[in-house]
Amino acid sequence: MSIDNNQRLQNLKWRVMDRLIAAKETLPREWYQSQPNWLGYVLIVPGVLLVSFLFVGLLLLAGYSVLTFDPIEFIVYEFTLENWRNFLTTEAYYRIFARTVGMATLITVLAVAMALPYAYLTVRTENAVLRKLLLVCLFVPFFTGVIVRAYGWMIILGQNGLVNTGLGVFGIGPIRLIGTEHGVIIGLLQIMIPFAIIMIAPAIQNIDRSLELAASSLGSNRLETFWYVVLPLAAPGIAGATIVVFTLTSATYAIPALVGGGRVDFISNVIYRALFNMANYPLAATFSISLVVVSSIIVLGIFRSIGTGTLGVTEGGTHE
Amino acid sequence: MSREPGTGLSHSLSRLSRKLPGNRPIISGVILLQIVFLMLPTIIVFIVSFQPGDIVRFPPDGFSLSWYAEIPEQDQYISALYRSVVAALFCTLFSIPIGILTAIGLMRYDLRFSNLFQIYFLLPFTVPLVVSGVILMIIFGELGYIGQLWTVGLALTIINIPFMIWSVTSRVNALDPNLENAAKNLGSDELQTFVNVTLPAIMPGVVTGSLIMFVLGLNEFLVSLIITTTNNVTLPVVIYTAIRSNISPLIAAVASIYVLVAFIAVLVSDRLVGLEELLSS
Repeated sequence: MSIDNNQRLQNLKWRVMDRLIAAKETLPREWYQSQPNWLGYVLIVPGVLLVSFLFVGLLLLAGYSVLTFDPIEFIVYEFTLENWRNFLTTEAYYRIFARTVGMATLITVLAVAMALPYAYLTVRTENAVLRKLLLVCLFVPFFTGVIVRAYGWMIILGQNGLVNTGLGVFGIGPIRLIGTEHGVIIGLLQIMIPFAIIMIAPAIQNIDRSLELAASSLGSNRLETFWYVVLPLAAPGIAGATIVVFTLTSATYAIPALVGGGRVDFISNVIYRALFNMANYPLAATFSISLVVVSSIIVLGIFRSIGTGTLGVTEGGTHE
Repeated sequence: MSREPGTGLSHSLSRLSRKLPGNRPIISGVILLQIVFLMLPTIIVFIVSFQPGDIVRFPPDGFSLSWYAEIPEQDQYISALYRSVVAALFCTLFSIPIGILTAIGLMRYDLRFSNLFQIYFLLPFTVPLVVSGVILMIIFGELGYIGQLWTVGLALTIINIPFMIWSVTSRVNALDPNLENAAKNLGSDELQTFVNVTLPAIMPGVVTGSLIMFVLGLNEFLVSLIITTTNNVTLPVVIYTAIRSNISPLIAAVASIYVLVAFIAVLVSDRLVGLEELLSS
């Protein structure tokens, strides 16, 4: 019975293959036999089209940012620099932008610093159980999603939450964490550390173990080995982690909205309000473009100084 | 090096204890704290969901599954879960052919401006998510497609496609072109070579990529928040709206679906390709 089915499946497969080959052979012979180089361009067309949504969208946004906002008709197709003037001269917007960049920088530094020992131990430990534990504790939060974890932090940091209950036992508190920058930093760090570990670990994996052994046999201790050998060689991973964590943090919405309770707004929260509370698309476009410009400058700066790191798809040296 | 089972266990235990506090007390302490820090929010949601009363408190006032029993009656959560699963499936299936073609195109052909193409394919990562959301809302809005479920699937594909391209690329890199040449040399047709040699070799990359695409798609929040309406709202957005008003354990029970999915995803990827593999791609 099952053999019969198997046989039928095989037959079907052969028939499909034959059809496909026949179809292929109607094409000019040299197309598939020597595979001209332009075929490469054809292959990436679907991917290019997919990403073109964002590319075209960025241009569209730049266009929107110089259109006129009208409270009644919403968008008037007239050129104006009013949105940019509004953005650059309003102190509140300014402050939120500065907070976004400042917090993103802080989170990036902390997340990368905390990810380094974790990634190192995960890659280098000889203890299989420990490695599995580290991997599980890395991927379970990574796969849990931002909203569920933000909810978890609200339960932990809230007025009657885990932290305050714990402090209450010692007669301290309650301290306010929801709606403060500290709460937001804690929440964001927990979201970003897994990303940083995932970007750094491959770079550490690529480091030749014997270099570390050489350093230690030449008399350097663990810390020195880590600082002078591992850290410089892990630079591509650190670059990748920096870029990913910085862009993600500077565009974060959920943690400021939930753990920050609307008191620690990031630029994303302002963009959302401009879109849905004020229906001011031109202003939202202005904020968006500014965010892209600022984060691109920082990302390009990292590209220039350390290279694309683990972000580059050619990583691993494939171009013969 | 031959040792009996019992001594083997004690041996590895003593090695573990030497590894942990004694040898490098500071590092082990930091790592232990990080493990707690990383796992705590996920675990706490799970714990709270078993609480019988409708106020979240510590320590929990008992154990009950009553909140889980209520989920099937909550139509808003069930239909949102269904939409999330459909959108995540859509983006996974859609990204597989695109990921394979792009990876082969980028790796196997000598493209001009290949550096430029690489930066281009990183756009979904370098464009901040909130901006991607605004862009897609404007584009779908102009075209009149806002509110349809496939737009969410397409949006998920666009913002997460680099994950698929990456994991397939690492497999294309690892595949020795000589294997394909050998197949052709033995009389295999170009298409047969692709189906019987190339595809199986890059399959682990496709599996890893699909898993990541699916789970991230299921969890995606910010872009969905911006581009969805009540017609096609997904589960993370519904949970977000719910926790803004109250933090009843019912939402914890719903959110525990995600905790469960995360554990299953980790288990499945460990079985299929190994967690280490997930890290190296």
